[in-house]
Amino acid sequence: MLANGTTKIASKLAPTINDRHLLRIYDSAPFKSCEKPMTNVYIVGQRVSKLAAAEKATGRSKYIQDVTLPGMLHGKILYSKYPHARIVNIDTSRAKKLQGVRVVLTGEDIPAIRMGVYKDNPPLKAGKVRSYRDEVAAVAATDPAIAEEALNLIEVTYEALPAVFDPETAMQKDAPLVHEAHKTNILKMPWKLHYGDVDAARKEAAHIVEDRFSATWVTHCCLGTSGSIADFDYDNHLTVYSNTQIPSLAQKDFLGTVKALGLKNRRVRVVKPCIGGAFGSKLDTYAYEHVAILLAFHARKPVRILFDRKEEFIATSTRQPAIMDIAQGCDENGKLLFRDITMILDNGAYTSWGATTPSVMMMPISTLYRVPNVRYQASCVYTNNTYAQAMRGYGNPQATFAIESSIDMLARAAGIDPVEFRRINANQPSEVSPQGFRITTCGLTECIDRVAHEIGADDVKKKGEGIGYASLIHVGGGARVYKSDGCGTLMKINDYGKVDVFTGATDMGQGADTVIAQLVAEELGLHIDDIHVIHTDTDVCPWDVGAHASRTTFIAGNSALGAAKKLKEQIVKIASQTLDVDPQQIELNDRMAIFREDTEKNIDLGKLLRKTHFSPGGNMLMAEYFYDPDNENLGRDFKGNLSMTYTFGTHGARVKVDEETGKVEILNYVAAHDVGRAINPMLLEGQVYGGVMMGIGYALTEQVQLEKGEIMNPNFRDYKVLTAKDTVPIEAPILETTDPDGPYGAKGIGEPGCVPTAPAIANAIYDAVGVRIKDLPITPERVLAALKRKKGIDSCGIDPLTEKEYDCT
Amino acid sequence: MKPFTYLIPKTLDEAISLFESHEGRSAYIAGGTDVLIKIKERKLLPDYLISLKHILGPDRPLLNADTKELYISAFITHRTLERSTLIQRTYPILHDAVKNIGSVQIRNTATIGGNLVNAVPSADGAIPLIALDASVNIYGTKGMRSIDLIHFFLGPGQSVLEKGEILTEIVVPPLLPRTGGAYIKFGRRKAMELPLLGVGMLLSLDEDLATCVKARIGLGVAAPTPIRAFSAERFLKGREVNEQTLTEAGQIAADEARVRDSIRGVAWYRRELVGVLVKRMGFTCLQRAGLKHGDSEDV
Amino acid sequence: MSRQISFDLNGNETSLEIEDHWTLLYLLREKLGLTGTKEGCGSGECGACTVIVDGAAINTCLYLAVEVEGKTVLTIEGLASPNGDLHPMQKSFIENGGIQCGYCSPGMILSATALLEENAAPDDDEIKHAIAGNICRCTGYVQIIDAIKRTSQPETEKVKVVAWQSDTGNK
Repeated sequence: MLANGTTKIASKLAPTINDRHLLRIYDSAPFKSCEKPMTNVYIVGQRVSKLAAAEKATGRSKYIQDVTLPGMLHGKILYSKYPHARIVNIDTSRAKKLQGVRVVLTGEDIPAIRMGVYKDNPPLKAGKVRSYRDEVAAVAATDPAIAEEALNLIEVTYEALPAVFDPETAMQKDAPLVHEAHKTNILKMPWKLHYGDVDAARKEAAHIVEDRFSATWVTHCCLGTSGSIADFDYDNHLTVYSNTQIPSLAQKDFLGTVKALGLKNRRVRVVKPCIGGAFGSKLDTYAYEHVAILLAFHARKPVRILFDRKEEFIATSTRQPAIMDIAQGCDENGKLLFRDITMILDNGAYTSWGATTPSVMMMPISTLYRVPNVRYQASCVYTNNTYAQAMRGYGNPQATFAIESSIDMLARAAGIDPVEFRRINANQPSEVSPQGFRITTCGLTECIDRVAHEIGADDVKKKGEGIGYASLIHVGGGARVYKSDGCGTLMKINDYGKVDVFTGATDMGQGADTVIAQLVAEELGLHIDDIHVIHTDTDVCPWDVGAHASRTTFIAGNSALGAAKKLKEQIVKIASQTLDVDPQQIELNDRMAIFREDTEKNIDLGKLLRKTHFSPGGNMLMAEYFYDPDNENLGRDFKGNLSMTYTFGTHGARVKVDEETGKVEILNYVAAHDVGRAINPMLLEGQVYGGVMMGIGYALTEQVQLEKGEIMNPNFRDYKVLTAKDTVPIEAPILETTDPDGPYGAKGIGEPGCVPTAPAIANAIYDAVGVRIKDLPITPERVLAALKRKKGIDSCGIDPLTEKEYDCT
Repeated sequence: MKPFTYLIPKTLDEAISLFESHEGRSAYIAGGTDVLIKIKERKLLPDYLISLKHILGPDRPLLNADTKELYISAFITHRTLERSTLIQRTYPILHDAVKNIGSVQIRNTATIGGNLVNAVPSADGAIPLIALDASVNIYGTKGMRSIDLIHFFLGPGQSVLEKGEILTEIVVPPLLPRTGGAYIKFGRRKAMELPLLGVGMLLSLDEDLATCVKARIGLGVAAPTPIRAFSAERFLKGREVNEQTLTEAGQIAADEARVRDSIRGVAWYRRELVGVLVKRMGFTCLQRAGLKHGDSEDV
Repeated sequence: MSRQISFDLNGNETSLEIEDHWTLLYLLREKLGLTGTKEGCGSGECGACTVIVDGAAINTCLYLAVEVEGKTVLTIEGLASPNGDLHPMQKSFIENGGIQCGYCSPGMILSATALLEENAAPDDDEIKHAIAGNICRCTGYVQIIDAIKRTSQPETEKVKVVAWQSDTGNK
């Protein structure tokens, strides 16, 4: 904890760019490292530039938009014109006659293929459509314009059906059924977590707060739109080029489609071009990928489907919207006694990973702060809206918005300073949470203190200004969602001491390749440009469960490290034989095998390798390693140690609210994280800055606006991704706790940046002007309506976003 | 995009005769940032696209030294206006607007004339020009005619332009002494925005630097076309400009506005904004009227 | 209609036949193979397709190819020196974390380059104003603004980023 009167760092209020670089990991500010930094580390901890950055900066990188194959056709998809309708007839005859059209497919023409976690989503719909994004037909033609024209020639006769857009309405008995065969709109995915005795704790509590919060649809807005190329070879082996985050799982999905086509024992290869952003959007396989396969199969030619921006908004998935009822209580000393949460999730018409976000929501619900009694229940409900997917944070931002807003309310109800309240309840190292999470290292208290210090908690606030806080817990050491949470690495070193690392990991811009190269270079005493990381092709790269759950640095890092250690062992062995010294005496450094006692004997690594290679009984050095951590699947009771370690953090926002317009301006933002260890502080900060800006958009400006199931703002004009002009001063102090299981002590940090952003801002708004906004995004309209209500002016009318009266207390 | 033939006339007469000879199948294009989107979205499908980009004319705004009238060729880009020291110093109300239209890339191609003829209620370029009492010169087969900009707009996407007519020039009459002007685009982001509401205001003061001798209030997205808040203007005239009168003027303007709900914003909120922003722009005008040349600071 | 146009493309005099309705984006990507220019939205709202025409940053998705007649066009492929040396702006983006997924990078780098051509020492607000039309979803812009600022600073104030250099691995 900070002593009062500690000198504040000069950069606190308006950090300039130069100042920020003074705030590096070993700065002398009162932010302690739980362990001293390791010594003799050269590349780990350096601000190494991203490996592929020069390719990207020169426009040489190839994205799916830039990949073409000889004879390639262009595919396009026809979407539904209704949110819910029976398909009476589809007439494709005119489209088929158009010159240049090679294949036209409808739902009737394709075998049974079911996508998604609930297997309720065929890539082309037959019989009926359940949302505007339903794929009704597809065309492959020699030119994209011809394919587009062909879509216009397909005549679909619909018979409109009653539709349902509100999940609470959809839960009622007489609601129209989205999937008749399912018999109810409520998914049979009962998310229930319960331990302790919530009802008893509630009776005991000195202070209780209760409220309803909601989070709406937002979407990833990857700058590179989605796309895929499918190509069957002569023997019907399939290659799919796709910007997926899950090459190995996509391979399995695509294999399913190949099998459905009646092709047995075929190979599927997934090649990843450069990915123009992902953020979870490519964590499932989508209709366009399967449709490309189907078209290519029928055309006997490669088929590429590329989304334009409108399609990207309409036909890719959103973050999971949620209605969240939360009650929390504490004793008179501010110790949390219980947390009771019920959620309704609008599942949309089909089921992708959005429906499983409660599995991750459970983590902050059970373990953000110490709570002895917890009850949580979530229902996913079919509607005729678009369906949700994974998006950075995977449910955690929604749950944390409710929890941390409610924590703020509870602290105030208990009359305890919000910072102190969080300190009282902060998680500590080496504790096991009742859900079974084994926390190894935990710097939450330090993060809270650092943020309070940096944001200027004790400074005088001007009128309309306020400060808010929110903390986070996230998986930092993988997440055992599947039976395996593993990642494989193959490694070879050539005659010149250059290493090729074939990893299952996926780089989508976050820098996975660079971090892996740093770890390998460190281990083998090489330079960063001695390492070539190949992560793009399932034919050469081992299995990996995917780039999700902020797991890549930890899991793929440990995997690469495992292979590097094995390779190192071999190098040391040949060095000891060649130099005729004890292997214990040899170290690898600066591209040399070094013998400390007699440096004359030091040998250049390449020379050593060539000598080994070209000697009788020659040998090439290679290594492989598959790392699957000791974490646990959640059990039937949803308990288990999901991750090897957990990342913690606290965010603080200082805002100014314009009381006449309701507009919120962020004056300063601090996001402190316990990252275990920063392998590459520059890339790490990039994850935090990017996450925070995405989180600010989530808090204040972004929303996919649906009106009766139709997306009204499928463009960057009306979907408000923040611009450079909207940036705010962000500081991202890094706390290193050196995790015992992480590669060189690292934890994952890909997602946390956007997890507690919205509640930190909402809490700051309350602190500033005394209104609590409980629905995202926090638009100026909502703030102004709340301010008016506070002044006794009744209703401003109906909130077009919730279609209810402006909720503001 | 559907194929078309691109024609590049060098004079207005040539442009008009090309339009006539392809009557019904042709459209004009200047910067193209609106026209090309319409063609891409198949809302406009011309066989001939007649470029106005290459018609010879002044490449920057010009102030007539004798009449003190400002002449702006319709074919110059927003970026040219943004970077013009004349606009920055003497017409900050216009500078406030043009510097935040779209992006640098858009402003480098899109023209001020295009912004006007597009005739959308959210046209950022139109609001300050209306407040400046600008008129526009329109050239057609019947020759040149002039019309006050406030009467140019008929409805969303509709103007008084007849088939084949070209808006060629914007004329801003001389400013009264002690005039301050300001424009604000209120949006959800700080850039790349269409206004939720736009307010352009011009106040001319008496020698006491307090009494209003002339007021102009232009409102964008407050009605189906850009409008002026006439009653609020009349209210301010002859009154001392202060917190109380500006607040009242704001309320009057809010009552005059014919705001509506859209996906971009709700009516009640837009009405609130009219009141608040008229008051705020009034203060900025007051401040700028007291400065020698006005200034271009952010509002 | 098709017609012949001539223009300077990345320092090379270029003459070729185009169709009137081609956008510059289409010409560059589909006909000239210059795929460094990206399409992000097709409607001037993201800046991924930015190139520099006669010194000015423009969106190629809303710019007809026919309009480059007689002009000078600089795309990302032409920014580095012909000898392969990266432009200082490219180097700065690389060294300061200005690039993540990289899809916005060519357009962003060119917008920034156009800015420095007309204003050698922009302040933070001027930088933000100049790149506001280039959407980036990965970086939150912080390191991009940093990268531009460092390029624009006098040589002596530049911070050397050691890790980029190949010989600084192990000592």
